[in-house]
Amino acid sequence: MQTPSSVQTSPAPEPRRVSFSLKDFVIKFGLLVILAVMIVVFWRLEPAFGSARNMFSILQAVSVTALLALGVTVTLAIGGFDLSIGSTAAMSLMASSYVMVILDLGTLPAIAVCLFLGLAIGFANGMLIVKGRIPDLLATLGMMFLLLGLQLIPTGGRSIAKGMTLPSGGSAQGSFTETFLALGRYRVFDLIPLPVIVMIVAAILLWVFMERSRYGRVLYAIGGNEKATRLAGAPVERYKIAAYMISGGFASVGGMLLAARVGRGDVSSGSSLLLDSVAAALIGFAVLGAKKPNVFGTAIGALFVGTLLNGLTMLNAPYYAQDFVKGLVLVLALLFTFGFASSNHR
Amino acid sequence: MSTTRRHVLTALAGASLASALPFSAARAAGIAGAPGIFGKRQVKIALVRYLSTGDFFQFYLAGVTRQAAALGIDLHVLDSRQDAALQAEMLAQAMNMGVDGIILQHGLTETLKDPAARAVAEGFKVVAFDVNCENPKIPQIEQNDRELARLSLEQAIRDNGEAFKAGYVYVPGIAPLDRRDETWQAVKKKYPKIVEVARWGTMNNPIANSVADQTAAVLRANPDIKMIFAPFDEFAKGVKTAVDEAGLSKQIKIYSADISTPDISAMIEKDSAWSATTATNSAVVGEVCVRSLALLLAGIDPGREVVVPPTLITQAMLAEKGIKNMEELAAKIPQFSRAEVAMAPWIPEPKR
Amino acid sequence: MNSDTVDAVRVRGLTKRFGSTQAVDSVDLDVRRGEVLALMGANGAGKSTLIKILCGVHPADSGTIEIDGRPVAFRSPLEARAAGIHTVHQLINDGVVQQLSVAENLVLDEICRPDGPRMLSRDRIHAQARDIQAILGLDLPLGRAMSELGQAERQLVAIARALSHEPKLLILDEPTSSLSESEASRLFEIIEDLRSRGVAIVYISHRMSDIRRLADRAVVMRDGRWRAEFAAPFDFDAIIHAMIGHSVTDGGRVAVPGGPVAMALRDVVLRPGAEPFDLDLCEGEVVVLTGLIGSGKSELAECLFGTRKPVSGRVLLDDAPYAPRDPGDAIARGVHMAPEDRGNSSLVVDFSVRHNMTLPFLSVFSRLTLVDPERERVAAEKQSGDLGIKCASTDAPIVSLSGGNQQKVVLGRWLLQPCRLLMLDEPFQGVDIGARQDIGRRLRETADGRATLVICTDLEEATEIADRIVVMRDFSIVGSHSIEGISLDRLVHQMTSVKSATTLA
Repeated sequence: MQTPSSVQTSPAPEPRRVSFSLKDFVIKFGLLVILAVMIVVFWRLEPAFGSARNMFSILQAVSVTALLALGVTVTLAIGGFDLSIGSTAAMSLMASSYVMVILDLGTLPAIAVCLFLGLAIGFANGMLIVKGRIPDLLATLGMMFLLLGLQLIPTGGRSIAKGMTLPSGGSAQGSFTETFLALGRYRVFDLIPLPVIVMIVAAILLWVFMERSRYGRVLYAIGGNEKATRLAGAPVERYKIAAYMISGGFASVGGMLLAARVGRGDVSSGSSLLLDSVAAALIGFAVLGAKKPNVFGTAIGALFVGTLLNGLTMLNAPYYAQDFVKGLVLVLALLFTFGFASSNHR
Repeated sequence: MSTTRRHVLTALAGASLASALPFSAARAAGIAGAPGIFGKRQVKIALVRYLSTGDFFQFYLAGVTRQAAALGIDLHVLDSRQDAALQAEMLAQAMNMGVDGIILQHGLTETLKDPAARAVAEGFKVVAFDVNCENPKIPQIEQNDRELARLSLEQAIRDNGEAFKAGYVYVPGIAPLDRRDETWQAVKKKYPKIVEVARWGTMNNPIANSVADQTAAVLRANPDIKMIFAPFDEFAKGVKTAVDEAGLSKQIKIYSADISTPDISAMIEKDSAWSATTATNSAVVGEVCVRSLALLLAGIDPGREVVVPPTLITQAMLAEKGIKNMEELAAKIPQFSRAEVAMAPWIPEPKR
Repeated sequence: MNSDTVDAVRVRGLTKRFGSTQAVDSVDLDVRRGEVLALMGANGAGKSTLIKILCGVHPADSGTIEIDGRPVAFRSPLEARAAGIHTVHQLINDGVVQQLSVAENLVLDEICRPDGPRMLSRDRIHAQARDIQAILGLDLPLGRAMSELGQAERQLVAIARALSHEPKLLILDEPTSSLSESEASRLFEIIEDLRSRGVAIVYISHRMSDIRRLADRAVVMRDGRWRAEFAAPFDFDAIIHAMIGHSVTDGGRVAVPGGPVAMALRDVVLRPGAEPFDLDLCEGEVVVLTGLIGSGKSELAECLFGTRKPVSGRVLLDDAPYAPRDPGDAIARGVHMAPEDRGNSSLVVDFSVRHNMTLPFLSVFSRLTLVDPERERVAAEKQSGDLGIKCASTDAPIVSLSGGNQQKVVLGRWLLQPCRLLMLDEPFQGVDIGARQDIGRRLRETADGRATLVICTDLEEATEIADRIVVMRDFSIVGSHSIEGISLDRLVHQMTSVKSATTLA
């Protein structure tokens, strides 16, 4: 495209700068443009796609995934990874059911137990990584399997439902409270689902924390250069443990919302959460050319996946086509992030 | 870059549209002489699934698809792949799409109850297969599990008399198994000389394998068992393996529920212990679901419960008619291939 | 005689452009057989790019390269190597594979050759590796993993590997930057031997002592262009003038007398068996700690920064006992340190200049834990201005800066807040002379009210900034000299404990 300039002394010719900024634009806004194009295309093909109700359906569908993805973003920011978020959410789902259905306790104890478990799991992950010196991926993989089994032990492997027979022989007396179910089902103004509001508030708080507070800055610094951050005086170990606790906490909130939506301690719910949320966080790398884990990008990434799946479902695409397209988007987003990024340097 | 991506998306959207085409193009103007909206325009329905993998569910979808095609219905399949929350969201999405009717196929009562009630309140016609939405306006399509167990057990009594030692494979907490269990308890009460000397069972995957291991131990402890009731074909497969390995296939008879091609092969083996099973053809259930919904959409009440009757299948029947697989079973045993349920003159029967 | 002076490599009109930067601008260069050509220039002068073109990493935009009179155009480093051009790069960790053994690294080219042997026997590799070691007279543990070796040893492995190919043109990029004095002098002997055997050598270094010892000719680049050529014996003032456009001011240095003692070390033992020593670091005084590699300089600094514990002894900060748990504790007590190897130990590569600077002091710029970007910017820009950091803005990514400017950012970071003791470990590594002078000047300007300890192996660098030079050997302090009337011979003697033959004076 660029013709070699014959005049040695001429400054950088104008077209060069224009093409350069176009590339910048693509890296920065490419994914957002594609999201917009996607929405328009789906809308044209299926007018029902664009209704306000469907938009909130999409948001509701991604709210749990997005919460988990936000948590994993924090661990990605410190250069780690949390593979246990899916099973932490499932743990929280089973724990809330157990507290309400089997122990017959109320809403607040259920929420307290879930949050405590989420933070405790995060703390355990952090200790395994920091004190046990196990690489992040492996420690959280171990934790994932551990939780998958642990959550089934109290019920002998069965789903928790009202009136179920207990291993001890009696039947469960409690049930999900209306207040707890409302967490997943209530719609503000009969339109906006509560989980959507929880997700948006959580995303905004986390964005402020990561992008504006000094704690977030140090977390990113650890991800960029852990040694340098330690030598700059930051208590790196404590930050890392905190990052995994945030991740566990977000996952447990996601699990609670899921429990409220499902209304039963269902052992198979939440099995797809891990991969979907990791995909959302990775797609987020490419949003606004961040090239790193970031909260806004993760939120957009979750929305991207949700929009795609909702639209394809409306167009009657089978589920395997949806998985294929999800993978395609992820690969393209990673190309935006890494492929373009490296060719941008010399 | 973005152009190629858009191309890919358009192509994919096109591909998915094309797969929907056979239905939508079939009869866009409606069926002549049919009541309600069927006489006026094409009807659009959604099948919102919770379970979808395995023979049973493939046959079910085939039944839904061909009955929908026969009625010229535009069918959308939303598949949540055993994700309860996703199924609720897909139900909402089906409503957003503006379908006329919805079939809920399996799922969790706790999860579906509220959104299903909302759908009914907003004027959508809803039928449910094998999931209780606790809503009087939602007809329940069921395969009758109690009837299923009854037919198998009656055959067992015909074969073995009213006094024998029995083994029973059961895992509590699974709804259809619990319903089949009720019948077993009733039969034991009615015939006190039928003695359950052992009970076992597991849902550990692979189920048949785990059950076989358990059965081997049970048979060593109770060599005098004459009959084993295994009301789930995966259980029966495992039991048969253990019986064969113990060399007891001539002493013991197995009675079960459900059917598939591998089950048929196991039953027709020489000296097979697997004597009889009772099953509902899931493809027929699929057809019945669509027909029930069609009746509802036409303003005709199909009834609070629509029961698809099960069929007893014995070793002797299979041998006599030379049946080796599901297709032959459907072709040669008419009551297995169609059910006189939720019929109407204006509803064409599908090509099978 | 005549054949000795034939050009091995002849470069004409070589030009390379990156975006809007003219990295190399119509450069002519001849390297003769049997000579050491010093390629000199400040950071960013275009040396690295020129080298990368010569060894096939980048294609040239225009211009020609001839080897032994035949024109060549390399498409890959492999082709350049096949033509006899071998390079030892400055970033030594790019040139060795940490996970492999020393022997495997020595014969790496053989292992990686596309037509190389399919099966590798350990004995054969070790036999070849021993031959290659012998070229440099090395005796490294062949079976050990590369990652267990020190920087200097890794450097030697990379050099030995390049020499094993009997190169026509050998390019050495800052080869002595992490070598000890004795290792360096062994390398010099080998280079002299290669020269006598007719190899053409391009030698890049900031160290005038290396160049004085080795080079036959020196070519100076600035802003991507050829600027001047010098023949030995060199006029270093003129060379420096050509490099940076103005000459070094070396008006006879006067030591600033130290104020009250800020940090006092008493009977400190750094490792078991080492001699105990005392050290006083006074306010207003710049102390340079020097010594060979492995003499314990960095270890001393680490003890004061909380990343290492001394075996025994007392440390007093303003007369109070001082034993920091970790760097955070040290910083809270007013002890700041810029560690060695800024890329790995100081800088967060994906952060901007400003965020890199403020990292340890974020709480100072925060209200209710939220960082105030305006206060942060003002502080960073003041440091940037005071240190003369050349960057588009403090928002620029740190990686867009040259090495010297990156080092200024590190110094700026630790000057953001007042402290009792400021330590800089090898602050001049890979820093051009202009930036070096800026750093030294700023260090001096801000020295009042705190003690300053600079770790520096290069004595020319040391004498530039020090009020006092403290010499370490074998993890203990063996000498302390005021800069006034200092005898470098004596310093070198103390460092090596043998009469040094190298002429540093």
